[in-house]
Amino acid sequence: MNLFAQSIISGLMTGAVYTLLGIGLVLVYRTARILNLAHGETFAITGVAAALFVSAGMPLAAALGLALLVSLAFAAGLHRAILRPRAEWPPGTLILITLGAAFVVRGLLILAAGTDPVSFPAIFEGAPVRIAGGAFPPQGIALVVLGFGASAGVGVFLAATRAGKRLLAAAENPYAASLLGVDVERARLTAYAIGGLLGGLAAVLLVPLIAVDFQSGLAMTLRGFIAAAISGMSPVGVLFSGLGLGLFEAMVGAYLGALYQDPVMFCVLILVALWQSRNIRFGGSRRA
Amino acid sequence: MKRMEFARFPALALALSIGAVASPTEAQEVWRIGEVAPLTGPAATVGTRLNKVAKMWAEDANAKGGIAGRKIELMTCNDENRPEKAVACARDMIEKGAVIIFGNALTASLRAIQPLVKDGPILLIPSPNVVPGADTYAFQVSPSDHHITEAIAAYLKANKIDKIGMVAATDASGEVGVASARKVFDTEKIELRLARIDLRATDATTQLARVAGSDIKVVYSSYTGGGAITVVKSFVNLGLKQPLVVSYGNISDAFVQLVKAVKPPRLLGTGVVGIVPEAMSDAGDRQRAQAFLEAYSKKYSERPDMINLLGKAAVDVAEAILKTPNPKDYAAVKKYLESTPIPSVHTQRFSPTSHVGLDASSFMILELKGDSWVKADPVQ
Repeated sequence: MNLFAQSIISGLMTGAVYTLLGIGLVLVYRTARILNLAHGETFAITGVAAALFVSAGMPLAAALGLALLVSLAFAAGLHRAILRPRAEWPPGTLILITLGAAFVVRGLLILAAGTDPVSFPAIFEGAPVRIAGGAFPPQGIALVVLGFGASAGVGVFLAATRAGKRLLAAAENPYAASLLGVDVERARLTAYAIGGLLGGLAAVLLVPLIAVDFQSGLAMTLRGFIAAAISGMSPVGVLFSGLGLGLFEAMVGAYLGALYQDPVMFCVLILVALWQSRNIRFGGSRRA
Repeated sequence: MKRMEFARFPALALALSIGAVASPTEAQEVWRIGEVAPLTGPAATVGTRLNKVAKMWAEDANAKGGIAGRKIELMTCNDENRPEKAVACARDMIEKGAVIIFGNALTASLRAIQPLVKDGPILLIPSPNVVPGADTYAFQVSPSDHHITEAIAAYLKANKIDKIGMVAATDASGEVGVASARKVFDTEKIELRLARIDLRATDATTQLARVAGSDIKVVYSSYTGGGAITVVKSFVNLGLKQPLVVSYGNISDAFVQLVKAVKPPRLLGTGVVGIVPEAMSDAGDRQRAQAFLEAYSKKYSERPDMINLLGKAAVDVAEAILKTPNPKDYAAVKKYLESTPIPSVHTQRFSPTSHVGLDASSFMILELKGDSWVKADPVQ
């Protein structure tokens, strides 16, 4: 077995997870200006719901489809029923509300599925594909292809389509956007719904390779946040930050050891944050 | 006027007010037993299992009229696997007069609450990861992690294997496992190839690629909980063929349900012999283990697992303590436990030099066959 090749494969899979979760956070942030700390709950909800549906005898495809709908309903409901009526509240308070929503979901998932981890079968089964001495499971290949594909699709949608530009305009200047005919609320609702679907897609692709439990949500939010923050909340940048983080994490874990992962990764996060805030530190202009 | 009269008799007023809150007989007729357990949070799967056994014991004992004439009041406090919360829980229980505290928590929480019981009450610990000193009022009802590692080493030696690959988490429990592995395997001249895995990891293939070379005949994952599944699935995804040994914390139905579709060619585990009663040599232990397995299955409609068995050991020791002449005389209870074997699913044998009730002989290597854990076959 080739450690380097396996680290690349592992990094690609981990990177796809970072990216899928990061892009959902970026999308909501760029349209509603809220850091949605309940975003990772879409992962947990989809994973737990799909596992429950499958264990109840539902066919896998139907279970996954229904679980994705539950995730979408949660994300859209969070915006429509909880955040939108309080749109005038300070952003900090709204962020705390999303954190509260995350804990409510945790409690509900314990009631629904208990405290033990659950999982469901892989969509893509079979022997791992051997590449340069590394092993790539079919579900892992799907995670990488669909994960980066969906994330890139959202990036292109935002940057290159009229509908995507409407979403971004709704965040940049909601009043000007509404004067120009953009339905700001609809744009935000769309953003939350797409974010919910992406979080759910991450669960559909990843959970068969691991397991999910009631507390998986916040951990996934943290993953997405790291990727999103390093990208500067950029829908295209998060593709590269997610990929970079995944590869970086795999390489550090393989060659330095997992104990170095957090110190190294969070040092990088701090350095990137300092670099991104250089305009603020120097009064809005860069030092010569 | 009446209030003024009361004021003239402060002692009477105080006595009446105390009487109004709780009658002395009511306060004395229960045994207050504390339980610190993570019922939510990352270790909930452990806490809820131990809590089920504690509740079952209290309910059964109370249904029979209590122990030594008093009913049991189980005070369960959820520490959420947070040491600071565990300390608050334990402090509250001590103030409320708990005679025994079940330390049904994980390593960090147990370490945090140990100093609080230096003058009592008795702290009973089912976790193998925290070995209490013999000069304390804490007693461990499981083998220590060192003993567990000795059992693995004995299995390897019996199969003439001198190398092992190991994956351990980067948390406090992982640290304990790594320390035991380094010490025991070094003593037994078994080469240890080690990789650590972060608790957030969603893939363990790089760790396994590091430790599971073709010269490694057995791989051991000391990881417990959701992360353990990640290791097992990554093991299968790599197409590894050697036996994989998982930690005692995974010897449960929930784990079996998760891995049955992705089981490695041979999945082994570490566990107390009581999980396979027919393999027990002591007839009394075997009978008690079987009785508990049946009673638990009947009550909860699920098979008890390794953690449930350790919880049963804790409640049996608690019951023995409550039957002593004065359970609140902690020094006398300590002497009693140090000198008297306590019958349980495995007879607990504490001593004045060791507060660990079991040793490596109570542990065995198990193998998952079908849906059941049985004694492991030799490595071929």
